[in-house]
Amino acid sequence: MTVPLGAYIAVSAVLFFTGCAGVLVRRNAVVILMCVELMLNAANLALVAFSRKYGSIDERGSVFVVFVFVIAAAEVAVGLGIILSAYRNRPVVDVDEIHQMKG
Amino acid sequence: MTFDFVEPVVFALLSIGVIAGGVAVVMLNRITAAALLMAFTFLCMAGMFVLLGAETIAAFQVLIYVGAITVLILYGVMFTKFSDGPRALFFQKQTPIAAVFVAAVAVPIVIVGTVSFTSAPPRPGGGDLPALATSVFTDFAFPFEIASVLLLAAMVGAIVLTRRDDPEEAAMRRRR
Amino acid sequence: MISLVWLIPAFPLAAFLVNGLFGRRFLGHLTGLIATVAVGLSALLSIGVFVEVLGGKTQTVVVLYKWIAVGDFSINVSALIDPLSSVMLLVVTVVSFLIFVYSNGYMEHDAGFYRFFTWLSLFVFAMLILVMADNYLLMFVGWEGVGLCSYLLIGFWFERPEPYYAAKKAFVMNRIGDWGYTIGIITIFLVFGSMNFLDVFKRLEESAPAQATLTLICIALFFGATGKSAQLPLYSWLPDAMEGPTPVSALIHAATMVTSGVYLVARSMPLFEVAGPSLQVVGVVGAITAIFAATIALVQFDIKRVMAYSTVSQLGYMFLALGVGAPVAAIFHLATHAFFKALLFLGSGSVIHGLGGEQDMRKMGGLRRKMPVTFWTMLIAGGALAALPPLAGFWSKDEILGAAFANGHLVLYTVGIVTAILTAFYVTRALWMTFYGEPRDHHIYDHAHESPRVMTLPLIALAAGSAVLGIVIGFPPEQGFIHRYLAPVVEAAGVAEHAPELATIVVLAVVSVLAGVIGIAIGVSMYLRHRPDPAALTRAAGPVYRVLVNKYYIDELYDHRFVEAARAFAGASWAFDIHIIDGLANRLGWAFAMGGQGLRRVQTGIVGNYALTIVAGLLLMLVAYGGYATGILGR
Repeated sequence: MTVPLGAYIAVSAVLFFTGCAGVLVRRNAVVILMCVELMLNAANLALVAFSRKYGSIDERGSVFVVFVFVIAAAEVAVGLGIILSAYRNRPVVDVDEIHQMKG
Repeated sequence: MTFDFVEPVVFALLSIGVIAGGVAVVMLNRITAAALLMAFTFLCMAGMFVLLGAETIAAFQVLIYVGAITVLILYGVMFTKFSDGPRALFFQKQTPIAAVFVAAVAVPIVIVGTVSFTSAPPRPGGGDLPALATSVFTDFAFPFEIASVLLLAAMVGAIVLTRRDDPEEAAMRRRR
Repeated sequence: MISLVWLIPAFPLAAFLVNGLFGRRFLGHLTGLIATVAVGLSALLSIGVFVEVLGGKTQTVVVLYKWIAVGDFSINVSALIDPLSSVMLLVVTVVSFLIFVYSNGYMEHDAGFYRFFTWLSLFVFAMLILVMADNYLLMFVGWEGVGLCSYLLIGFWFERPEPYYAAKKAFVMNRIGDWGYTIGIITIFLVFGSMNFLDVFKRLEESAPAQATLTLICIALFFGATGKSAQLPLYSWLPDAMEGPTPVSALIHAATMVTSGVYLVARSMPLFEVAGPSLQVVGVVGAITAIFAATIALVQFDIKRVMAYSTVSQLGYMFLALGVGAPVAAIFHLATHAFFKALLFLGSGSVIHGLGGEQDMRKMGGLRRKMPVTFWTMLIAGGALAALPPLAGFWSKDEILGAAFANGHLVLYTVGIVTAILTAFYVTRALWMTFYGEPRDHHIYDHAHESPRVMTLPLIALAAGSAVLGIVIGFPPEQGFIHRYLAPVVEAAGVAEHAPELATIVVLAVVSVLAGVIGIAIGVSMYLRHRPDPAALTRAAGPVYRVLVNKYYIDELYDHRFVEAARAFAGASWAFDIHIIDGLANRLGWAFAMGGQGLRRVQTGIVGNYALTIVAGLLLMLVAYGGYATGILGR
């Protein structure tokens, strides 16, 4: 008895949309960043699963996972940098308090 | 006696961990706890990668996500003061409509994804490292190098963004 | 030499650029020298070209480059060098050179010295382009160029209102004429498929278009010529143009630019020859203008205005000559007129200069002792204008009248003779009032002085030309040098020249000399003997005199009929512009502003809203994908 691919995809999708919902409803910028990481991880799971299924000879899907790692690391670093420098100007991390772009 | 039943059980446990962790990150008011639960989610995800036979990716997952990114996020939590009051953590206006939208997108994708792929992925022995390494250093050598440049840029960018400009020092530099 | 023909306009152009760019800062009075040398070089080259044409190169086209090429239609920037254009080149450059020399003295104390020579150089350049062009379009470039320079130079002293208004008037009236020119060349292009002179004339021979079309072309072109050459009905800008500096009046409004209409008609003679009644129109308009302007000149007191009306009148003579089918006589008169009228203007300028800016002849008198050179040279020019033998004007005017007579235009001939009497009278009157009699304003008289050498030398040179040019190139009558020289052009045009018999020529000459003598005699008797007394005559003439002094009220008529109508139209246009055009634009802008105000709300500035929008987009994509996958939205 083995686990079908669809199960992995289902877990991946559920996690993805959980993160997505978090991005949409949370106000704290750091939490939003965490939720983005969850979404990226969900995408990684789907990539690895498909890679095992369709590309196990050269692991192309997994290569993309490596790149997603890189991007996630960079994104967290820069995202936190932005949050911190914004926080220094106004000591809030609530993204709806930061609305200078309001038209 | 066969141990075929082990894999579904492990998968079930891991998926409960992943989803419960994710939901907790989204719902919890205490941000430090949320960050730690995020690390738990990442760990469970690493287990899933092992289950899929992608041991190298699992190792990377532990190193980068559970190690580096979680620590960074924790630092971010420490450096910022979060607003208190449980409901203040959420957008008041947007929450219901966001829930509707996300559900509308998520439900069909989850259903379609689940029913479309019923066969199990093959599981060749020997792990994924040789194939992954071959791909990264042959076909994807150039993007790989570009990725390193991206990391460098991100590092510099993070430093520049977070550097505190000392007013006195700046004034002295201008005078010189 | 002919291959170098492009250098002729290039020199004035270079002078224009150098003076215009560096004149005010660096060159100062050097601008005059630069411009004069440049035009002098052009004059030398023109002489060379003239000699070469004389040597037998009767038709050369020098292509500089291809200007416009669209399908079959192509316009070159190229020069047509034939006897007609080489004569014009020579007249333009030589007279320009002398006037440039003179201007160095006349404008010496003017603050706009450099500006003067800049525009004057540009004018010469444009005039040379006009004369050299081998097609109607390039000619139009020069045509507009001289119009522009005329405008700039009439309004040279734009600090005062009169020159400014005069410049505007000249420009507008020229534009009205240009409208005719434009109609003409567009029709030419539509009919002949070319604007090149030679091509048009060739195609005309091969297959002549309908008479009505040709007449339309010729009348339109002639309308353009009336604007530029100050003929009825568009003459009235020229007397006002005297507000410009006197050398400008001499160069542009007597010698060169105003003759370009004559040149245009002479150049288009093959068209006019076959275009039904258009030549008659030219002749009649010329004759009416000649006598009309001469009568006005009788009673003017501003010395320059007398000369201006005289110019209009003499231009009328040239058109009369063209109209009776004697283009050679027209060009001949153009050349001699360029000399003696330029001289009359420069002499007037010398008088004005010597009197410190006084132009009213009633305040002059007795100046012959103070300004001998000016007096004697102007006397020669006046004699030439009055057509006294053997001065230049006699030969050319006599040919015009002779041609009118010989070609059977007796009415035009009579008008010409009457005009000749009037001409002789008003020139006598002008010279008398200026140089003879007792000084009428002693203050001015005492300060009068002869002009410097740089101004008198050109006067002398022009006087020499006015004296001998006629006999040199116009003797014997109807067979002179100018006839032989221009023969190729005339033959190509198919003009039938009726050479009258010798006896007729002599009789006609005697008649025109008598006309001149009668005019002079009346003038002398009126102003020396007061018999009849001018003042008494004025009183007796009463209303006639008033009409003449007021120039037949033509300006008032134009003001009343056209200017006010144009004002009303402009007011209506303004209202239309403000309320309809601007209103439309404003409403449109207002609509966009309102839309922007509405759409502004979308930009909440809250990141969560933007993220939600992304998810909404994802939802849309999912719906679309689902729709296509299930076939609901079609394939």
